[in-house]
Amino acid sequence: MTPAVILDDVSKSFGAVRAVDGLNLTIEAGQTVALLGPNGAGKSTTIDIMLGLSRPERGTVRLFGVSPDRAVQGGKVGAMLQDAGFVPNATVRDLVELARALYPAPLPTSEILRTAGLTELADRRLDKLSGGEAQRARFAFALAGDPRLLVLDEPTAAMDVATRQSFWAAMRRYSATGHTVLFATHYLEEADDYADRVVMIARGRVVADGSGAQIRSLTGGRTVAFDLVGGGTVGLDRLPGVRSVAVHGDRASLRSDDSDATVAALVHSGRLFQNLEVGAAGLQEAFLTLTAAGGPAGRDASPIAAAGGDPTTASGA
Amino acid sequence: MYAFFLFELRRLVREPRLFIFTVFMPVISYVVFTGVGDISGQSEGVPLVTAMTIGIAAYGAVLGAMSVGSGVANERVSGWLRQLRLTPLPPIKVVAVKGLLTTLAAIPSVIAVGITGRVQHHVTMPIAHWALLVLVLWLGTIPFALLGLAVGYTLPPQIAQPATFITFFTLSILGGLLVPVEVFPRWLRHFSEVLPSNRYAELGWKAAAGHLPSAAGGTILAGWTLLFAVLAALAYRRSTATR
Repeated sequence: MTPAVILDDVSKSFGAVRAVDGLNLTIEAGQTVALLGPNGAGKSTTIDIMLGLSRPERGTVRLFGVSPDRAVQGGKVGAMLQDAGFVPNATVRDLVELARALYPAPLPTSEILRTAGLTELADRRLDKLSGGEAQRARFAFALAGDPRLLVLDEPTAAMDVATRQSFWAAMRRYSATGHTVLFATHYLEEADDYADRVVMIARGRVVADGSGAQIRSLTGGRTVAFDLVGGGTVGLDRLPGVRSVAVHGDRASLRSDDSDATVAALVHSGRLFQNLEVGAAGLQEAFLTLTAAGGPAGRDASPIAAAGGDPTTASGA
Repeated sequence: MYAFFLFELRRLVREPRLFIFTVFMPVISYVVFTGVGDISGQSEGVPLVTAMTIGIAAYGAVLGAMSVGSGVANERVSGWLRQLRLTPLPPIKVVAVKGLLTTLAAIPSVIAVGITGRVQHHVTMPIAHWALLVLVLWLGTIPFALLGLAVGYTLPPQIAQPATFITFFTLSILGGLLVPVEVFPRWLRHFSEVLPSNRYAELGWKAAAGHLPSAAGGTILAGWTLLFAVLAALAYRRSTATR
């Protein structure tokens, strides 16, 4: 089956800045993929290139085997962009009906409104929507045509917690019906929770590619966290196995390659502590490790090749 | 494309500023300008009051077309045009619909001022002339619609609006839409005659007398239309150039 997306050795610069640098990415139809990276990693530029809004200087882009422009004109693509705004004097329903009329095989209006959680807001003017409601209207516009590929750039920005949850529930229902979904995010939990596959990019390159669990396991190690009770942080970084020390308020968080040895040494040191917790290193830590390392060549990005960078979690001592 | 036209038309009808610009302002201007001084006599081959009716109707029509055209600046900056580019609707159809709606924005002024003239000053002409008047004042807004779109595709919204108003006021005053060109000094009258606004109103004055457009007027308007079309096309291409 033709892959939904192929980006082959794509590069793009803005002046002296290489926004996308030899990026390779293939997404099979039906996958839900998170494009994960910090601000400025090249996520939005990659999406612009993928959708034909921006031309790469080098490399080729194919959506379902054709150029982005042809895929868009053929109604195969729906997109929700960060900077795509609406116009005044139209209602949510007007917008949805417009989208339905533009695509060859749209979803029913009531289903679109229900999926995006806009049923009660259908007759509200677009310029009267709150930030989170406008995001849902963008989502409705993007999915109205039942596109095979749905591209979402930072979809949950401006959404509150409840809206965010219902949004992801809707997104899951959509991807469950065989659609391909690509979303960009810098929320690590979102990538981990909602994508089959997480593609981490930094400085315009793919630095890691795998499931959320794989990405997390890349960096190995565990966190040992506890409240400092009066004692300082001096010496914590010299405990066995410790790779880095971070302090938030009174709580110290140690990244350790050998949590057993770290805890044993902590106890024997006579240092006072409370609320000891040992846990798997989160995606947050993996993320910092990989992106700080700058990553290996995008072409060869793999979990193994991407591991081994130095963590940047600053010592609070 | 029809769905997009209806969507945009509905938005236009709901826009309160359009009513103010193309109905309220021209009617007030008409009442004021025809209320002061002597409006007997002839001008442009028709009774002066008829000429003034047409001039002020044209003034509102030009304002309607130019302000709706330059309003595209907001849609560009808000990202709406970008969003539309990600649907199967081709960009050329987006522009075609915008252009058509922009010229349609000229019609309310012609009808509102025409009715006011009929009621207030008993301006009369055969029904066929009224029909011809509406037709030529609609089609004649094409250069102004293009000029508005050129401004809208070039300038940011906060500059596009004042730029549109300055251009519009200059064109309407020098073109003799508010004050008949007969009161202008001779040199200014010659200058006025090459302006698109003057030749646009001339379409209306001729129609009121039951005449077709003059060859000179038609040529001058066609020249401005071509120029503004090129400007609008360049502005459009520049604004949508892929980065």
